[in-house]
Amino acid sequence: MHGDASPLSREVVRDLLYQGFQARLLAGGAGMPGDTPVSVDIRTVVMARAMRHSSDGKGDLCCPGHLSPGPMLAFGATPLEFLRQLGRKGTAPAAARSGGRSWTDQRRGLIGWDGPPGTMTQVLAGAALAFAQRGQDRAALVFEEFVATETGGWHEGMNFAAAQSAPLIVVLDMTQPADRAGTGAVDAIARGYGVSAAAVAEEPYPRLFRTVASARRRAVRGRGPTLIAMLPRGEGDPWALHDAFVARALDEAGVSDVEVRAIERAASAGVDHALNRLAREPEAEPHDALVPACAHEVPQPPWTRRVPPEPGWRATGDPRELHDAR
Amino acid sequence: MPGELPRHVTRTREGRPATFLEAIAEALWEEMERDSRVFLMGEDIGAYGGAFKVTRGFLEHFGQSRVIDTPIAEGGFTGAAAGAAHMGLRPVVEMQFMDFISPAYDVLTNYIATSLYRGAGPLPMVVRGPVGGGNRGGPFHSQNVEMAFFHTPGLRIVYPSTAADAKGLLKSAIRDDNPVIFEEHKGLYRAPHCREMLPADDHVVPLGKARVAMEGEDLTIVTYGLMVHHALEAAAELGRDGVRVEVIDLRTLLPLDEDAIVASVQKTGKLLIVHEDTRTGGIAGEIAIRINERAFEWLDGPILRVTAIDSPVPFSGELEDYFLPSVADVVTAGRYLVDY
Repeated sequence: MHGDASPLSREVVRDLLYQGFQARLLAGGAGMPGDTPVSVDIRTVVMARAMRHSSDGKGDLCCPGHLSPGPMLAFGATPLEFLRQLGRKGTAPAAARSGGRSWTDQRRGLIGWDGPPGTMTQVLAGAALAFAQRGQDRAALVFEEFVATETGGWHEGMNFAAAQSAPLIVVLDMTQPADRAGTGAVDAIARGYGVSAAAVAEEPYPRLFRTVASARRRAVRGRGPTLIAMLPRGEGDPWALHDAFVARALDEAGVSDVEVRAIERAASAGVDHALNRLAREPEAEPHDALVPACAHEVPQPPWTRRVPPEPGWRATGDPRELHDAR
Repeated sequence: MPGELPRHVTRTREGRPATFLEAIAEALWEEMERDSRVFLMGEDIGAYGGAFKVTRGFLEHFGQSRVIDTPIAEGGFTGAAAGAAHMGLRPVVEMQFMDFISPAYDVLTNYIATSLYRGAGPLPMVVRGPVGGGNRGGPFHSQNVEMAFFHTPGLRIVYPSTAADAKGLLKSAIRDDNPVIFEEHKGLYRAPHCREMLPADDHVVPLGKARVAMEGEDLTIVTYGLMVHHALEAAAELGRDGVRVEVIDLRTLLPLDEDAIVASVQKTGKLLIVHEDTRTGGIAGEIAIRINERAFEWLDGPILRVTAIDSPVPFSGELEDYFLPSVADVVTAGRYLVDY
């Protein structure tokens, strides 16, 4: 553990282990439904877990960005819910009307990622503004790819958040091409808006956790947004960090090897159960899925008439009958 | 609350008639007093009071957390309004001119309009602002924007024609759980003929219900906004020839009160649709096909439309007068239909 690090609580470490194991299985396991690529970065689990999660609609708000199970799990989604979205099931929160990233559960503080890059920074800026207006101890976290900073929309959202000192944390995923621009680009953007900036790399979990937790504290104290550059992983095993954390948990957080294995088994059982359950769940039924979401009644045949032209008129499928009836 | 209330929000409580613009201001004021979740966002709406002074005095009374001056970034602050609406607030976004709504088209159509559909919950928010020509504003301060959004499921579009409706419909729009685009014709804002006594109680006009502005049996004119007044003028002129015109004021374009139009056409057998918006892709086309679907058998003549011509709004007065539909145009089309 780093010298400047205060150890995470044992409870947090156990949660992180559980969610990390599940995220790993969901992202890399066989038999995943759908053809949507699942992006996962174990660091996102840690960052999301550093926010204040609640299931009563009073906690922080998180927009996971890519189709990543990590932040969703950290904000209380279950593997089954995640897989329902991925599998476009009628039981999915959006009833298969929209893609996996659209998963929203405001009670748990999850909001779906929709629109082109930058849109969700705008939306989360407004949500954060609402927290500040009400004096609530809440903050918003949004994951965006660095490419979002190339859009005007992202800058409009960032500018608005900065001007309003909104409690917003924006994690910019520095994909490899973006990383060539360097974290200096993020620093320059942050300076331009007068907001704080930080960078996280393949650092130990506690440091990632503290970086976001610290940004959150600043945010809810009215000190405005923070931009966090999430640097690319190395070329090696993307889960090396996870494995390192398991080792640290064993070594420093007082979690025994027996407990770690029990947590891993529980996580695995949860994912297995979700996969089995998912296979038995129905596909979306068009009428049930679409009609409640339509603003208007769905037109019925014949053609789009909804009112017969005269009392007693019955459609036969022959348009000429209309004239006869008249 | 500090200070004296702005005069333009107290006409009704003083028992005096209000203009269309004052009716808008009263609606905003009353809703902000009634519900602490309601707040305003827009360019220059705070210290400056708005380009048309609708929100003059609001900042001093409600404070800067509820009257937010935004950057000139319509997409960004409309998106932020969506976020606030997600969190239970009820933002009312002012477009300084509705022509400027186009940068927010993306977030309005892709994000806000689809929110309920995507399972992200309702987004109770209003985007309001001045529309329409006749003020020599040229192409970027005179447009009617309704049809840019009419095709988008999930939105509501409101376009009042009277001060009383403006107030009642805006209050309904703010209370509605759906995103509402609320168009206010500049030509009505301070028009003397629009000044009227407003109902003193909590005046709410339901969305989606048209109004029979004039009853008649020979010809139906369906219209909205400033064109209601053109239609009424035309109806008066036709009336001198013994033609009894029924004028339907749509009030709400989305959802469209199809039943009201059908009922009128079933009575008159003749339909003329009038809108200030340009011709191609205008709402007249949609209304015509709906009547074709539901009341074709009752028609005793072709469905006609009087609209602006397919052109950007011209700057010069002569050109704009040619571009806009006139009372004379409505009378001519009406006579043609009656004689058909």
